[in-house]
Amino acid sequence: MVGLQGRVTGRIAPGLVGEVMVRVRGGAEAFMAYAADPGEEIAVGTIVVVMDYHAPRTVYVSAF
Amino acid sequence: MTAVIAVGGVLILVAVFKAMWRVAEPNQALLISGAKHRADGVEEGMGFRIVTGRGTFVIPGVQAVRKLSLDLNEADLAVDCVTAQGIPVHVKGVVIFKVGDDRVSIANAARRFLDQQQHMNTRVDNILAGHLRSIVGSLTVEEMIRDRERLTEQTRATSGHEMEKLGLTIDSLQIQEIDDPTGYIKALAAPHTAAVQRDARIAQAEAERVATEAEAEANARKAEAIRNANIQQAGYQAEVDNAQARSKMAGPLAEANARQEVVVQETKVAELEAYKREQQLQVDVRKPADAEAYKTVTIAQAQRESKVHEAEAAAKETELRAVADAMRVKAAAEAEAAATRARGLAQAEATRATGEAEAAAAQARGLAEAEAARALGLAEAESIKARAAALAENQEAVIAQQLAENWPAIVKAGAEAFAGVDHMVVLNGAEGVNDMLAKALTMGGTGLGLARNLLASMKQDGTAVEAGAEATDNHRAHQVPIG
Repeated sequence: MVGLQGRVTGRIAPGLVGEVMVRVRGGAEAFMAYAADPGEEIAVGTIVVVMDYHAPRTVYVSAF
Repeated sequence: MTAVIAVGGVLILVAVFKAMWRVAEPNQALLISGAKHRADGVEEGMGFRIVTGRGTFVIPGVQAVRKLSLDLNEADLAVDCVTAQGIPVHVKGVVIFKVGDDRVSIANAARRFLDQQQHMNTRVDNILAGHLRSIVGSLTVEEMIRDRERLTEQTRATSGHEMEKLGLTIDSLQIQEIDDPTGYIKALAAPHTAAVQRDARIAQAEAERVATEAEAEANARKAEAIRNANIQQAGYQAEVDNAQARSKMAGPLAEANARQEVVVQETKVAELEAYKREQQLQVDVRKPADAEAYKTVTIAQAQRESKVHEAEAAAKETELRAVADAMRVKAAAEAEAAATRARGLAQAEATRATGEAEAAAAQARGLAEAEAARALGLAEAESIKARAAALAENQEAVIAQQLAENWPAIVKAGAEAFAGVDHMVVLNGAEGVNDMLAKALTMGGTGLGLARNLLASMKQDGTAVEAGAEATDNHRAHQVPIG
């Protein structure tokens, strides 16, 4: 998972749980996302890189 | 035989393979337990193998194979809750979830729901009802209606991690219906509704106004066009009529002109004829008449002149005769006057002598008569006095005497009663005549009595009343024989 690119589908911001679509296992799945750098805000549509993965459905991303 | 055995052996191999080979369909996960697997999946821990999307060998009787559906599931939610503004609402929603595709999620889910896949909906429903209540509580009604992003954010924030525990992912949470007993939503809509209605009405009115204006304008234009057309039509009609009338009149006009010329010529003819007749008359009547008149006038003048001469001659003659007569009369008158004067003088002389003589005679006679009258008066006075004296002494005697003196006149007066009678029928014969006469005389006698009374009253101056009364009584006594 780590190092994969994804697209933000739910805004990532402090106090919120964002959502990122990541291509994985031959499909695209939605993961709950937090910013890898706390305090960062990432708007919907931004391409991000998965910095950290916490099973089962949480990723930490930062803008690509 | 060997071939048969070979075929039998193949068939047995196929059957064994068929019995051991299991395939996971795309929406399934095979959970194989019962043997230690070193393959992919969970090596340690729970000790079962997860196979997705491919086939795998299973040793029947040693290993157990279970399937977990990875299909979507749907749970209907219906909760009474309160919004962030404290407005109570009844929310109906639907949540779509599935088992996560990663092995951890599948393992989590398998461990929780493998035998209860039918009950998964109920379980999830119960969990999510609470979550939905909390989601609605953190939103306003407006956000719920309009802001889908906020709803999903809240959904993730509230229930994401709890769902991770169950190995589920929420694909979608939809709010299908918000029942709003306080009418908040309706009230929310009211201003907009009113504004929209207002705008609609305004737009409609405006459109109607424009349409009406256009219609009116069109009507006016139409009327104008009709008017113009009518005017033009009337103009053309008038021209046509004019031309027609003119053409219609052309015939009569020509006729009239011709007739006029005829009349003019006829008039000239008539004038000439009249002139001719006049001339004829001049010749036939006037000239002879003039001649006759002239003749008559001439004759009359001649006659008049002759008469004038005759009259003048007669006048002269008369004048001369009158002068002669006057001379003669004057001479006669003068002679007469001289004669009369002489006669008058003589007569006056005679008359004066006669008058003087008569005056002297009259004077002498007057004197004599006056003397005689005085003597008579004295004598009469003497006699009256004597009679008065005698009357005073014996009134009745005097009266009787006077009556006796006047008796013939009285009887005459009584007889006058019969003077107007032409025929007298006397019923009693001779005696009747005497009776009537006596009555007539009595009537006269009554008058006599009255006379006597009169006389008696005259006497009362000189005599006593008693004597008068007595005299009256005597008279009455005396009267009876008379009556």
